[in-house]
Amino acid sequence: MSAPAAESYLSARIGIRSWLLTTDHKRIALLYFASITFFFAVGGVAATLIRLNLIVPEGLLGSPDLYNRLFTMHGVIMVWFFLIPSIPTTMGNFIIPLMIGARDLAFPRLNLLSWYLYIAGGVITVTALLLGGVDTGWTFYEPYSTFYATGYIILTIFGIFVAGFSSILTGLNFIVTIHKLRAPGMTWYRLPVFVWSTYATSLILVLATPVLAMTLLMLLAERVLHVGIFSPQLGGDPLLFQHMFWFYSHPAVYIMILPSMGVISEIVPVFARKPLFGYEFVVWCSIAIAAIGFLVWGHHMFVAGQSLYASLAFSFLSYLVAVPSAIKVFNWTATLHEGWIRFDAPMLYAFGFIGLFTIGGLTGLFLAALPIDVHVTDTYFVVAHFHYIMVGGAVMGYFAGLHYWWPKITGRYYPEYWARFAAILAFFGFNVTFFPQFILGYLGMPRRYQAYPPEFQIWHVLSSAGASILAVGYALPLFYFTWSILKGDRAPANPWEATGLEWTIRSPPPPENFDRTPTVVRPPYQYDRGKPCLQVGND
Amino acid sequence: MTDEVLTFQYADAAQQRDAVTLGMWAFLATEVLFFGTLIAAYFNYRIWFGPEFIAAARMTKVLFGTINTGVLLTSSACMAMAVSGYEAGSRRAPVLWLIATALLGLAFIGIKGVEYWLEYQEHLVPALSFDLPRYGGVAEIFFLFYFCATGLHALHLLIGISLVIWLAIWIGTGRIDRESSTTRLIGLYWHFVDVVWIFLFPLIYLAGRSG
Amino acid sequence: MSARGIWRCWAALMLLLALTTALAFVPLGSAQLGASLAIACVKALLVLFFFMELKGSNPLIRAFACAGFFWLLIMIALTSADYTHRTDQRVPVDEPG
Repeated sequence: MSAPAAESYLSARIGIRSWLLTTDHKRIALLYFASITFFFAVGGVAATLIRLNLIVPEGLLGSPDLYNRLFTMHGVIMVWFFLIPSIPTTMGNFIIPLMIGARDLAFPRLNLLSWYLYIAGGVITVTALLLGGVDTGWTFYEPYSTFYATGYIILTIFGIFVAGFSSILTGLNFIVTIHKLRAPGMTWYRLPVFVWSTYATSLILVLATPVLAMTLLMLLAERVLHVGIFSPQLGGDPLLFQHMFWFYSHPAVYIMILPSMGVISEIVPVFARKPLFGYEFVVWCSIAIAAIGFLVWGHHMFVAGQSLYASLAFSFLSYLVAVPSAIKVFNWTATLHEGWIRFDAPMLYAFGFIGLFTIGGLTGLFLAALPIDVHVTDTYFVVAHFHYIMVGGAVMGYFAGLHYWWPKITGRYYPEYWARFAAILAFFGFNVTFFPQFILGYLGMPRRYQAYPPEFQIWHVLSSAGASILAVGYALPLFYFTWSILKGDRAPANPWEATGLEWTIRSPPPPENFDRTPTVVRPPYQYDRGKPCLQVGND
Repeated sequence: MTDEVLTFQYADAAQQRDAVTLGMWAFLATEVLFFGTLIAAYFNYRIWFGPEFIAAARMTKVLFGTINTGVLLTSSACMAMAVSGYEAGSRRAPVLWLIATALLGLAFIGIKGVEYWLEYQEHLVPALSFDLPRYGGVAEIFFLFYFCATGLHALHLLIGISLVIWLAIWIGTGRIDRESSTTRLIGLYWHFVDVVWIFLFPLIYLAGRSG
Repeated sequence: MSARGIWRCWAALMLLLALTTALAFVPLGSAQLGASLAIACVKALLVLFFFMELKGSNPLIRAFACAGFFWLLIMIALTSADYTHRTDQRVPVDEPG
């Protein structure tokens, strides 16, 4: 397994061209890491300004219009340029071929094209948002986005449209890779759960993103030609836009959360030194979430004027999608039972994920219930709920995976105590930020308002204080990861004593991944009294 | 998609062939939903607007539409001939069938262009020449759907025609590998564009003809 | 697939085209849409099975060929479930305001 020279994918070729024209999935993953970090920072700045504004009831930044543009920018950037590509394009790109014993993705050039499309879309959108921005919210609801539009909507939407093709190509690449490039012996039930959940995510990317593309195209047509499709003033039905938009955007939530669930399913067995409890249940729940996730979008429209019968059906289906999610939470918890649990940084993030995702999921049930939803629609209750899923869930999973695979990606250790501190800080800061928002919403504070009655101030101040802790929690890794690249200790091939194929090759991996195609002999997560039983066989 | 022999990430030619075929079908699945969104919008507005919407469909040119459907179906048969000739190992036959395919595709575009021109003169083009007082707002929405759907279809067809011409040249000059899947993949794309039209045809041209 | 098979398939497609166009001018009332869509489905299946060679393909390819159409059906079914049961009245579009 060990090659004579310690040549790695990082040192094999040098120079800017070798990066910008690379087709190596590991290098493309690093390109994504860099660009996604940038967009995360942009979205984070907008979030900071939002929380700053809400410290005083009359709004610190003054102009409601500026506030509208800020939360739109925050939503657009975070959803399309951070959360959706986050785990699949970075860790998925890097780790999936290693996990299944492949030398690259099925279509390496397409993979690079995905990155360029993502960057093009990102540049266009950020340009539009900086030129003056958009005040519609990330949902571009009609008629804000056509009849009453004031900002650079055409440019923003075009940027998202371009980035959508990046998503489609990435999903397509993963689907083909996972079907066709598995190493000998890597049967479906021997695949690590991260591969399964990326597969489920890719199905959503491929089947839902074109719907968004066409919806945005219709919106563009309406806006450019001033002919009605959705706008009620021009004779259309704004609800049709909402249907089409949420047909994509609700499954998009599962695009964000499924990869995180995959990461957690990798980490929990390793740090509990036990096989994942109920492997088959976990993988089929991923597929079930991807499938049922397409049937629930109407719960975003309970009070929008859709028919009551449709609302009832959507309410029932929304309850249904909670079942596979809950099964997963129980499986992770059961994996911990009687395990030799280690509290390394990835595991702390994973614990954070499980707790926060559970709160987010349970409050999701409140919102699936018609009568409660009528009370809390468009309040901070909804804001808190989806931040528990997307930030508490998806972003925690992103950081968990980043810490877990960091030694593999860079070949270096990060300072463990700083990482644990950051994980705890993020968990603490997150709860202080978003738990008060449940209360605010329940008391009746509507979302997307720049000013509010003074009696809400205490909760807003609490939330803003939590946000500053959270910001430190997210900024810390930037520093110690930089330190780690420069000065960190060298990591061995398998620092966590895990079982997957990615841990059998050097850290950082050689350019062609495997010297010869590995043969897989057993399922993942097998431990013999705490000692890992590697998936790879010695033939 | 790929015109070269085995690339390094594949173990053998069969694996590569399977992978690119699956990739193409996954891509076509996204295309189904891309066009499907427009078609779903059509269905819902047909329910919502009722007779007014269907009445607007009667203003489309059914003769042009029917002839064009025939042209496109024939082009698909030619494409199938080209693929089967190529896989049988011949070089001349597929080139000729590909030229026939491209010519039929261009004929479709030409007929469509005449149709668009007539509609422009009848003031049926939204945003350009629509006679709102005469036809009404619902008709305008129908025609916007009509131009979006047929326009995007024509765009796909133009891409298809370019690919077919490029392929004919490459096969003709022997620059393409015998094992390559390119011909089959372009064939799949061409037939898919045909399938889209098969559904657009009754929705656009045949609605409300007997009323 | 054989040349004979291709042109037989083509002939069937042409016949169906003639049939659907002719049927459109027969007053069938509400069955009109169903009839024309049924014929369109048969035509599409002919193209998919014979021209696109789904007939000889493995189950995986067939599954992906079905997936797009199946998901589209979900979208159409659930959105039209809303539109067929709407209780509110549509505002007439021709009078502004």
